[in-house]
Amino acid sequence: MLEINSLNVFHGPIQAVHDIDMIVSEGQCVTLLGPNGAGKTSTLSAITGTARATGSIRLGGDQIAHMSVDDRSRRGLAISPEGRRVFANLSVRENLIMGGALYNSKAQLSAKIEQWFVQFPTLRERSDQLAGTLSGGEQQMLAISRALLSNPRILLLDEPSLGLAPQIVSKIFDIIRDLKAQGTTILLVEQNAVAAVSVSDYVYVLNNGVIYIHGQTDQFGHGSELMNELTGVYV
Amino acid sequence: MDYAIQQTLNALSFGAEYALIALGLAIVFSIMGLVNFAHGEVVAFGGYSMVITATLLTSNPWIIMIGVMFACVLTAVVLERVAFRTVRGADLTTGLLTAFGVSIVLQNLFLLLGSPRAIAATQFIFLDKTITIGTIRVSSLQIYETLATLVAIVVLTLFLRKTPLGIAMRAAALDFEMVRLCGFRANRVIAGAFAISGLLAGLACIFIMARRGSVQPNMGFDPVLVAFVACVIGGFGSLPGAVLGGFLLGVAEVTMLIILPQSAGGLASAAVFSLVALVLIWRPDGILSPARNKGDKI
Amino acid sequence: MMAYFNPDQRKGLMGSALLSLIILAIVGAYYIWGETYHARILYATFVNLLVVVGLQVFTGNANITGFSHAAFMGIAAYIAAICVTPAAMKLISLPDAPWGLNAFELSALVSATIALVITGLMGLATGLIIVRLSGVGVTITSIALLVIVHSIFLHRTDIFKGNQAFFGIPKIFDLPHITGLVVLAIFVARLFRESSIGLQLRASSDDEAGARSIGVDVRRVRLIAWVMSACFFATAGIAYSFFLGTISARPFYFNFVFLTVAMLILGGLRSVTGAVLGTLLITMGLELVRWLETGPVLIGVKLPQMLGLSGLLLGVVIVAVMAFLPNGIMGHREIEDLLHRKRQKGRKNDVSSYDSQT
Repeated sequence: MLEINSLNVFHGPIQAVHDIDMIVSEGQCVTLLGPNGAGKTSTLSAITGTARATGSIRLGGDQIAHMSVDDRSRRGLAISPEGRRVFANLSVRENLIMGGALYNSKAQLSAKIEQWFVQFPTLRERSDQLAGTLSGGEQQMLAISRALLSNPRILLLDEPSLGLAPQIVSKIFDIIRDLKAQGTTILLVEQNAVAAVSVSDYVYVLNNGVIYIHGQTDQFGHGSELMNELTGVYV
Repeated sequence: MDYAIQQTLNALSFGAEYALIALGLAIVFSIMGLVNFAHGEVVAFGGYSMVITATLLTSNPWIIMIGVMFACVLTAVVLERVAFRTVRGADLTTGLLTAFGVSIVLQNLFLLLGSPRAIAATQFIFLDKTITIGTIRVSSLQIYETLATLVAIVVLTLFLRKTPLGIAMRAAALDFEMVRLCGFRANRVIAGAFAISGLLAGLACIFIMARRGSVQPNMGFDPVLVAFVACVIGGFGSLPGAVLGGFLLGVAEVTMLIILPQSAGGLASAAVFSLVALVLIWRPDGILSPARNKGDKI
Repeated sequence: MMAYFNPDQRKGLMGSALLSLIILAIVGAYYIWGETYHARILYATFVNLLVVVGLQVFTGNANITGFSHAAFMGIAAYIAAICVTPAAMKLISLPDAPWGLNAFELSALVSATIALVITGLMGLATGLIIVRLSGVGVTITSIALLVIVHSIFLHRTDIFKGNQAFFGIPKIFDLPHITGLVVLAIFVARLFRESSIGLQLRASSDDEAGARSIGVDVRRVRLIAWVMSACFFATAGIAYSFFLGTISARPFYFNFVFLTVAMLILGGLRSVTGAVLGTLLITMGLELVRWLETGPVLIGVKLPQMLGLSGLLLGVVIVAVMAFLPNGIMGHREIEDLLHRKRQKGRKNDVSSYDSQT
């Protein structure tokens, strides 16, 4: 579904990512792991088009590397970005409407929003509340729903566990597991190796802008060694 | 009592006009961070379009009115496409100076292609009649102006709340990049914002022309200056702020005209500006400055 | 004495000297080949130069656009004019002047000093407000300042005569005086830019939060630059008054503001060389276009009268510069940087050519 070759990502004159290759097959959940500053978010930015990059990016076989941000999103790319970035001045429902940029029929959009309310009853409760007043976990649910509203070919998830309490993190990962069971293709970026390993099929480990190890998830056990190596924390 | 009503109507209609133009500025700034100095020229071009339509087409004021609206929207959208797209991501100073250059270009185009002297355009003067309601004598124009502005504000609010493009514009004011990541076309959102600013300018133009009766190259300058000030005291980029600022300025101006002795009438504008400076000292970012946080960014 | 200046300032001294040589060369060319009417154009150019260099000191280094320079210039021009004009003249031109303003006269030096001091104090007072504001706020407040001052000029005709000419000012300055002032201005602006305060100001313009975090007192450095630039504008105003013989309120308003801002951004607002370059280019360009506007006969073809062409081209220049060269022709470079590069190209193997600056 998503194929990346020889990707280099730049922030101004600084190169954040050096010549990486990655593949995410349809229906897979692939995780990009790495410590702070490894270049994980830069990689996602290159995929969405918000950072300057060279190299090949293919979505469903089509080369998107030269396309603008809006065009790439319209091609089937959706992201729940780092920090959630829900529109704090809009209501929950309006945030979801923002996910429906590609819908032609208002009725279709409302129906889809209904589906997400069924999946996340909390969002329904708060549908007219300003998104900025939601808790971190609720914002994460909102960001994911907003992203999935467009029926994307691949969902990019940037650090969903960031800043959330452990119970909420496990809830969010349950949601990710469900999504995967429903067949959603996911590229997950995380620092929390243990949680990520529990949902993914394949893992790439990024450090200093270079992939230094990758493989099937079962190679990495529970992810505790990885977690320790990456962050120095024993889980 | 009658005097009070007349002066209130004065303040409302002045404020309405300022609010209309200020809203046009605010909507563009809120999304693009661009201080559109050329907005006054959009209004001026609306005036010139009256002359063009009347010469080429018809003297029917209603058709000319539609012509004005169309001309203003067209100008605004074309300006964005031609002049402002290149400086889209740039910092405040670059955008401001570009807009300011565009404004000078347009003023001089009016001068070159039109005339340095005022050209008569009296088709809307019929709107300005003195009518008597009970014991009060008011200008019909002031009533139209106030009503039209209120309607425009309501329609704009509905647009921003109910339509996807409107919601996208409100979102873009906070996080433009995320709006694009959701799949909304940046060009459409920005063109939409300029189109709206053009509509508002067109409406304001009709009322301005009903009062002036003539067009000249630099007629856009005063309105846009006042609109700026309105935006700044209301909080630059905030739409309610622009409306609030516009009406506050209307009230301030009428108040100054009332309390200053006849001889010092020329100082009304200086007095209003001094008030503005005081407001800015108290609230450097304006009274209703818009939120700047982008949510839960760690 | 050289030890008093930091390395960048020494570079600045050289650059200023080079710019001054260019200025002197232009003046020299006038004395050799110029017609009498050229003196006026040259003088006006130099007055503009004083203003644009002053703009560079604040707007260029802080990257905040202010539009109030015409106001400061006007205030100083009027104060100097009122002080220096003989009482007999003032009784005719300002018959209703309050506070006995038409009853005294002072020497040129004293008048200029008073004008400079009062304008400088106004710079201080306005600066204290300005430095608290954010980008847009500065712009609008400076516009407010301009409008207020202009309204006062127009309204208090008993002191200022509004749009009518205040005449009878003795002609005190001539080309040599203003040339000297211009050279001085270039040196001062350059030394300021390279001083530690100038550096702090430039740092805060790129990244205000970052600068604060390393201990830069952003408000203080902005205030210093603002007051300094007010003094430059005041000097320009005084020079204007002392040459022209008559002044009115009209030039001290938006058209002049736009013109001088355009000069700065064309040349490059970040450098003093840019300020000088932009002023010279636009002045020469405008003279050429004004000649075209009158509908002259060019290679045997009579061109139509095109009023507004100069303004049009000015606007186009601004838009084009902002779109393609936002930092102007010079960008961040000063004149000595251009020479330095040439020298480096000639001496490829000389590794120490950069170190020799320290």
